[in-house]
Amino acid sequence: MPQSVIVQQEYRTDVYHNLAERVKEASKDSCGVMFLYCSDQPPQMESRLREILQYEPGLEFEIVPDSQTDTLAIMLPGHTLAAAHYQALLIKHHLQETMNQVDPRITLTVFPGQVDPMPATLKQMAESAKLSVSSDIQIFTKPEALKDPGRILIVDHDDTIREFLRIRLHLQGYETLEALDGKAALELIEKWEPDVVLTEFHLYGIDGLPFIRQIQKLLLAQTPKIVVLTGQRVDQTISQCFKNGIEDYVTKPFSPVELDARIRRCFN
Amino acid sequence: MYGMVAIYYVMIVNILYFSIIGLSFRNIWTIARRAKYSSYNTLAGSELVPAVSLLVPAYNEELTIIENVNCLMTLNYPTFEVIVINDGSSDKTMDVLIAEYELHKIPNPDMSGTIETNTVRDVYHNPDYPQLFLIDKENGGKADSLNAGINLSHYPLVSSIDADSLLEKDALIRMARMYMENPEETVAIGGDVRIANGCLIENGAVHNISLPRKIWPMFQSIEYLKAFLGGRIGWSHMNGLVIVSGAFGLFRKDSIIDVGGYRGGYPGEDMNIIIKLHRHMLKNKIPYRVAFCPEAVCWTQAPDTYGILANQRKRWGRGNMKNMIENRGMLFNPRYKVMGLITMPYNVLFETLNPYFRITGLLALGGYALLDMTHWKILLVFFMLNFFSGYLLSVGALVLEEIAFKRYKKPSDLFKMLLYSALKFVGYHQLGVLWRVQGHIQYLQKNNSWGAMTRQSWNDESETA
Repeated sequence: MPQSVIVQQEYRTDVYHNLAERVKEASKDSCGVMFLYCSDQPPQMESRLREILQYEPGLEFEIVPDSQTDTLAIMLPGHTLAAAHYQALLIKHHLQETMNQVDPRITLTVFPGQVDPMPATLKQMAESAKLSVSSDIQIFTKPEALKDPGRILIVDHDDTIREFLRIRLHLQGYETLEALDGKAALELIEKWEPDVVLTEFHLYGIDGLPFIRQIQKLLLAQTPKIVVLTGQRVDQTISQCFKNGIEDYVTKPFSPVELDARIRRCFN
Repeated sequence: MYGMVAIYYVMIVNILYFSIIGLSFRNIWTIARRAKYSSYNTLAGSELVPAVSLLVPAYNEELTIIENVNCLMTLNYPTFEVIVINDGSSDKTMDVLIAEYELHKIPNPDMSGTIETNTVRDVYHNPDYPQLFLIDKENGGKADSLNAGINLSHYPLVSSIDADSLLEKDALIRMARMYMENPEETVAIGGDVRIANGCLIENGAVHNISLPRKIWPMFQSIEYLKAFLGGRIGWSHMNGLVIVSGAFGLFRKDSIIDVGGYRGGYPGEDMNIIIKLHRHMLKNKIPYRVAFCPEAVCWTQAPDTYGILANQRKRWGRGNMKNMIENRGMLFNPRYKVMGLITMPYNVLFETLNPYFRITGLLALGGYALLDMTHWKILLVFFMLNFFSGYLLSVGALVLEEIAFKRYKKPSDLFKMLLYSALKFVGYHQLGVLWRVQGHIQYLQKNNSWGAMTRQSWNDESETA
């Protein structure tokens, strides 16, 4: 008896393990994964689904039934979250139109390329689909599992300020690097490509508006958001900074809680 | 007996020197405290600090100008603009500036000032660097350039800065703090000028402060320390400053315009503008002060070869002579208070005419000794006294430095300064006398060239350091 339990458990996890392997094989870059569950289990569900998806021209997909949770796993290689969400909406719409009394429950996520899908995550998604009480499509985004932690470059000449910010931002799970002056900061931004540059306005080397303009002129995949943290409180300067597209402006002395909130907002 | 005159002269000079350095000592504690405890960072972000236009006259400065402008644009100051005035340079000063900052001509520059200057060709600007302006004008000298800068400037305070100098990041805000103590009366504030040779310059800032390694800059380091800390703190205490160094000074623009701007044609325009300000204010009985701010530090590149140094000193001698002759009406005139009764006579008797008293006094005493009218031992005692009082003044300036600023951290640098303070009296001092006389001769010959003033790049400087 205990042996069979173990076998069954192994088998259970194996479904998701295989699924994870197939997701990985299916696509080198991002891959959408959807779990579909209908409460009264219409038998022709899988074939119906294939029909719907085949109508979409050029759509690559794969359907794997999951007997453990009585759900259907649908893989959509090469889909972004928005595209996968659109497909999910279409499926839901078609099912509701063509079949009577179906109430599909859908969970959805997108695995970015180079990230191995975790079997545990897939299992959780399948179970959520079955247990869901809402007919809304449930989107799984686990930032810590799917995305790198936010990268913040701290630029300030003052050692104390830098140390304070470093410790505080680390505690919140951000990755940080530091630069003492404008020129070093520009080099680091180019090499490290941070998401946010948290900078003093007055720096050595290059500072102020020219510094902000230089950051924006760098040829990067994504221009970092700039948060100015400074003792400079002249209205005209602040307005010029915003005109030049900075994300936020916090004056020293600052409230750490306020700064946290403003930085968090940069990542949403 | 002329020998006695010489002895009395020396005595009076020394009494004056010691009173002045005494006043410096009286003030140094206050200065040390405010340099240490004022919260400049808060002030540097305040809307209430008056805006300043920095004027940078540049004549053939292609090597140092970029470093200098970068340094000025990153000053810790709330609102300011940098106006570089290209005085018809024959080198690539214009080109390097235009290339570095991608400047473009402004179609109709608003030169609202009314001071007469040589033709201004164009004004350049780039909205990416909103604080930077470049004036291109025909050659007319430093004073003329400053006047052109004043004409373009948009703010109520102007600051003149040499293109071969670097300001410390807090220098301007420190000066502004002093101005804000008494904005009604303050018309000019001078900064402390120090010698940058031997220091490491990086990113437009002075790092690793240490003494120059070559001897000419070394002597000048001590000379500057003595003049600025030992002298100007004391003179400013009694509102008798006769000069605000051209390398770094802050002025009220309306006062400068009231006295007609800088005077061209002769060197020494920095001393001239201060004398004119004193004169104007005292004549019209307007309360005023000309202040000195020793905690606002400007690092300058000192001439490091004999030829260039000699040229500079001759030029100073010439400018000093011209200024004294031009303003001889103030001498011993009670209407001009401290200026008329102390500063100007001191400058004429003990600065301008100093070489002649020295030379003749020396000849007279030497003659007496040869003729056996004076015992040689008395002569020796006299020279020793002279030397020690001079040495004491130098050491006094060093002590002032150590009380308030402690910029030189290495103990070896202190010993070096003590040593060179003594060595200065053998050779360097005498050369100073010679250069001044040569300057006066040039003045009488109406030789008015500026003389070669070659620059080295700041980078080369830091490599050799």
